[in-house]
Amino acid sequence: MPASFVMNRLTIFFLVSSLLSALVNSSGTAAEPQWQRINVDPSQVRLKGRDAMKQLLVHGQTKEGKWVDLTHAATYRSNADNVATVSKQGMLLSRADGAASVQISVAGQVLTVPVEVVGFSSYGPLNFANQIIPVFSKYGCNASGCHGKAEGQNGFKLSVFGFDPQADYQALTMEGRGRRLFFAAPEKSLLLRKASGMTPHGGGTLVSPDGPEYRLLKTWIGLGVPFGSEKDPTLVGIQVEPQARQVAMLQNQQLRVTAEWSDGSRRDVTAMATYQVNKDSLASVDKRGHVRIGQVPGTVAVMANYLGAVAVFQAIIPRSETIANYPPVVEKNFIDRHVHRQLKQLGIIPAGNCSDGDFLRRTFVDIIGTLPTASEARSFLTDKHPDRRSRLVKQLLQRSEYADYWALKWADTLRVERLKLGRKNAYSYYSWIHDSFRKNKPFDQFARELVTAEGPLNELPAGQFYKSVGSPKDWASTVSQVFLGIRIECAQCHHHPFDRWSQQDYYGMEAFFTQVKFKNTSRGEAILADGSPKTTHPRTGQEIFAYPLATEMPAEHPAGDRRTALAAWMTGANNPWFARNVANRLWAHFMGRGLVEPVDDFRLTNPPSNPALLDALAQHLIDHQYDLHALIEIITASQAYQRATTVNATNRIDEDNYSRFLFKRMDAEVLLDAICQVTGVEEKFAGIPKGSRAIQLWDSAVPHYFLKTFGRPVRVTACTCERAIAPTVGQVLHILNAPGIQQKLSHAGGQVSKLVARHQDSSDLVEELYLLMYSRFPTDTERKNGVNYLNNQPNRQLAVEDLCWSLMNSIEFVFNH
Amino acid sequence: MARRNSFCDGIGRRDMLKIGAAGAMGFGVTLPQLLQQRAEAINRPVEDISFIFVFLQGGLSTIDTWDMKPDAPAEFRGEFKPISTNVPGIQLCEHLPKLSKEMDKLALVRSFGHSNSGHGPADHFMLTGYHPTAGFNGSLKPNNQKPAHGAVIARQLGPRGSVPPYVCLPKMHNSAGASYLGSTAAPFVVEADPNAPNFAVPDLAPPLNISASRLGNRQQLLKTVDRFQQAQEVQANQTAKTLSTFQQKAFDLMTSEATKSAFDIGQEPEKLRDEYGRHSLGQSCLMSRRLVEAGVRCVLLDHTNWDTHYNNFSVLKNDLLPHLDSALSTMLRDLEERGMLETTLLLITGEFGRTPRVNVHAGRDHWGPSSAIAMAGAGIQGGTVVGASNARAERPETKPIGPADLAATIYHCMGIDPKTEYKTVEGRPIPIVPGEGKVIKELF
Repeated sequence: MPASFVMNRLTIFFLVSSLLSALVNSSGTAAEPQWQRINVDPSQVRLKGRDAMKQLLVHGQTKEGKWVDLTHAATYRSNADNVATVSKQGMLLSRADGAASVQISVAGQVLTVPVEVVGFSSYGPLNFANQIIPVFSKYGCNASGCHGKAEGQNGFKLSVFGFDPQADYQALTMEGRGRRLFFAAPEKSLLLRKASGMTPHGGGTLVSPDGPEYRLLKTWIGLGVPFGSEKDPTLVGIQVEPQARQVAMLQNQQLRVTAEWSDGSRRDVTAMATYQVNKDSLASVDKRGHVRIGQVPGTVAVMANYLGAVAVFQAIIPRSETIANYPPVVEKNFIDRHVHRQLKQLGIIPAGNCSDGDFLRRTFVDIIGTLPTASEARSFLTDKHPDRRSRLVKQLLQRSEYADYWALKWADTLRVERLKLGRKNAYSYYSWIHDSFRKNKPFDQFARELVTAEGPLNELPAGQFYKSVGSPKDWASTVSQVFLGIRIECAQCHHHPFDRWSQQDYYGMEAFFTQVKFKNTSRGEAILADGSPKTTHPRTGQEIFAYPLATEMPAEHPAGDRRTALAAWMTGANNPWFARNVANRLWAHFMGRGLVEPVDDFRLTNPPSNPALLDALAQHLIDHQYDLHALIEIITASQAYQRATTVNATNRIDEDNYSRFLFKRMDAEVLLDAICQVTGVEEKFAGIPKGSRAIQLWDSAVPHYFLKTFGRPVRVTACTCERAIAPTVGQVLHILNAPGIQQKLSHAGGQVSKLVARHQDSSDLVEELYLLMYSRFPTDTERKNGVNYLNNQPNRQLAVEDLCWSLMNSIEFVFNH
Repeated sequence: MARRNSFCDGIGRRDMLKIGAAGAMGFGVTLPQLLQQRAEAINRPVEDISFIFVFLQGGLSTIDTWDMKPDAPAEFRGEFKPISTNVPGIQLCEHLPKLSKEMDKLALVRSFGHSNSGHGPADHFMLTGYHPTAGFNGSLKPNNQKPAHGAVIARQLGPRGSVPPYVCLPKMHNSAGASYLGSTAAPFVVEADPNAPNFAVPDLAPPLNISASRLGNRQQLLKTVDRFQQAQEVQANQTAKTLSTFQQKAFDLMTSEATKSAFDIGQEPEKLRDEYGRHSLGQSCLMSRRLVEAGVRCVLLDHTNWDTHYNNFSVLKNDLLPHLDSALSTMLRDLEERGMLETTLLLITGEFGRTPRVNVHAGRDHWGPSSAIAMAGAGIQGGTVVGASNARAERPETKPIGPADLAATIYHCMGIDPKTEYKTVEGRPIPIVPGEGKVIKELF
């Protein structure tokens, strides 16, 4: 038997290897994996100053060449605890000048790391912002739920996340009648008594009197609470190690965070950084940077934050069972190469190709927000041309519903608000959007026209954006969110907690828009941008000049209309976000999940699930001059898009890596149109010409119970999250029971009546219903069940209504799949 | 975990008084007996506790109702006179005569207040316990940055029987949503006024011309027409799975006698309906009681029109207060008669109080810093007054109590640990009560 043969070979292998390891070291066991090599990083350590730390990282290399973290599996012993101690987690701490050696025992091996401690007598120059604030951040003292909230906590207020060191210093040293700090007897300071639990503290006991944080605070108080000098080094950035790694389920990974300072020095801040995981179903992380991987495959990012600087560790977690023979997968274009590379790494086998019927319904709904008719379905299903799928996509892109549907989507995000703009202005703004999609205007041009709009509004309807969204701050944050996918509002009041944006960055963006104003001219109200308004930092009062995100602030504003400079930067070929954001929005629309999710929240700490794919999609847009049709064609041609929804043992819990097609609930308007189309009875909307479809509604305030119930957005923010897609019981009840829908089913001139009149043969009728509702032929069983029902009911009209009702309430109808 | 906690030794302040009195006079209940009674009354399984939140949107003028200041100057005290109640020492407005006879069931917190005097943010504050943060957009529906109390209750305790755990009546307030707790914690919205002559929950019943047998046929068909109904792939998709679950729930709702009967307000005796009052507030209060009886855990009753910037006194006297008086007094009596008061928490409040100084339009404007709230049932001692405002009801005189404390008290009554945390979509853990929220112990 081959299986037992394998077993025997394995057993022999383990026996031999355990014998071998027993020879090397008596602690080896048969169950222990065998390491080709074991490494300690760093191999020697120099600790400079008092309470200096260094996280050791121990890794083993498997026979396949993969590195596995053993930091927490190893045991550590320092031969001179008076010089340097080492914790169970492999953290070194200086105790006195001198030399020590740390022995690391792991997997039957013993490794030695020499440690040298120098300059222990001092912490070096103490600086409040650099050394003391991180203690508050680490223990959450300045978090928004504690002393960091606007009103402080029990009279002690810190700036949230320590963004304002001056104010925090003031609060500690001047307020509270000086009780917080006693220079003469530091340990009597309220700060230390509360933090160490000597005096009752609502926030609990946070630091131990034996710990380095306590010693640091005590020393700082004893030295007379120095604020530090302007010449003290500033933080340049932090680095997290490792940066990326494949980690198996239920395994660990210890991280090390190193801060780099402007004087070139580097310091291990693993113990002082704060950590956060972006998907907590996949992994967790503790205060010491110890990542524990769960039992769900996928990609996960762990963010380290220290003094507002952030860095990310990315882990790929494969499924636990390896796939011996990964089946061949079809790669239609570059998209599939990137998707499949990741799926192979994760050990996930994708679903196969979807049927023509599913492809037809899927592309109709995704590209033109409309269901295929029964005759369109029949002709596509009988088309034998090898290129029928790509030809269908090309045809759809040319249909008038394309502009209707995409104008609806962008009118949400760009806030075509009738209540705010008035009927005439809102309609002209909408028409400009509609026209842009009808002409397939290059998207960079679309964005430039909107951002730089100048002149009379009735000639330049794109300028209505500035009327709909209110102020320079709103313009700056909306343009960032819509076109760059970046949310900067947090930085209006404090440094963005999960990203690199500072208040200066925020006001640098705002300054692009402060020239904008409206004026009444002989040609009507006009938008213009001139003058040289000043922007100052709300806290420091320093003047801020307009500059784009992640660039250096210049010494003056761009000349002329500052928005021109912003638009040029935004749509330039090297912009890190614009093309990626547009590509990601389209990808998310078609695939049901963005590479970055939510689509308008690009953050260092929210990395794309497949960065190489996002880069490639963005490059495709740039190479094709932002031709959205071209991007839609390439996405819909990919195997990734054309997958079936089927589940196998490997892709069951994956919703992030495009291993199967995800069910998407149809938008409110699309679903209403679909119901009208299949029943053959159109809907009437108040104040809108008869015969208009819901996806043609330019005004999202048209009162309509169905649209409201199914989550139509009211367009008061730029967030795509405004469109609610979460199902509610009310929605389900509405399709089940609404009298209006029953009326459509029983309407004398409706589709059901027509079908009853046209088809005496029940089998033909069932076939027609399936084509109409599901865009596919019924299976034999479905046909048989349907025919049975129709033939056994006394009233054919009612029976067809019932069948149609059931199809309409099914998952297959309500979802795009 | 499944049992309610009471404070420390489980004995409230009033009990101590009673024990003292009984001991001194040498008769009456003994301490062990009293402890026994309290245990029976309070330590019921949380399964039994329900919550009716009567939200008086716009802002009830509490200086004219719960916390009158007859000794303040005329431009503060207003036109109304206080009257005695059935609890010595507690006075209410002369336009709440029926309620004054039920004061022994009602507790008032008179040192309530918070920092926001704008409708949208103050609503969010009161309905969730959390002040909204930057980026709050009141006009979104729902606008919740944090989940409403009812959503937390629904998520934490789940449904009881076939009725939904959390119901909004007669419509959904913008801040009544579930936020990051997701769609299963979202309210079921009645979308109809129980006082309307042909009141019916929209879409709850099939159209009239669809017979029961036809509905049965349709349901049977629905199970077979679609290739996904039972498929694994639906189970593997969050939204599709939710919809499929909701479809089952919807059928349960449609076919459940309990639900049908709960919403059938016509089953109530005409006399009782008259006593509650033939107006939206009265019939909504009656409907709330019916829903709680049927198993709903939280009813958020949203009643509007309390924003009395103009003619505060004539509007209150002629319209709003008579409605409030009949609705609340009857509900308190009705709940007690049915033995439901011990297991039903009742809260009556607007989003803020109104300015102590009467304005030039004989109205009062928004006033966050000071108001009073009314609570009853679920172990709260009736006839209690907690705290006091200053002489002109401008601010709390005693320790201020705010929306976070209110949230902590609600969850405490429902047997939910106020320290429970849920994670936002981004993975940020947020406790259901902000850190500073403390249970209002004096109520028990």
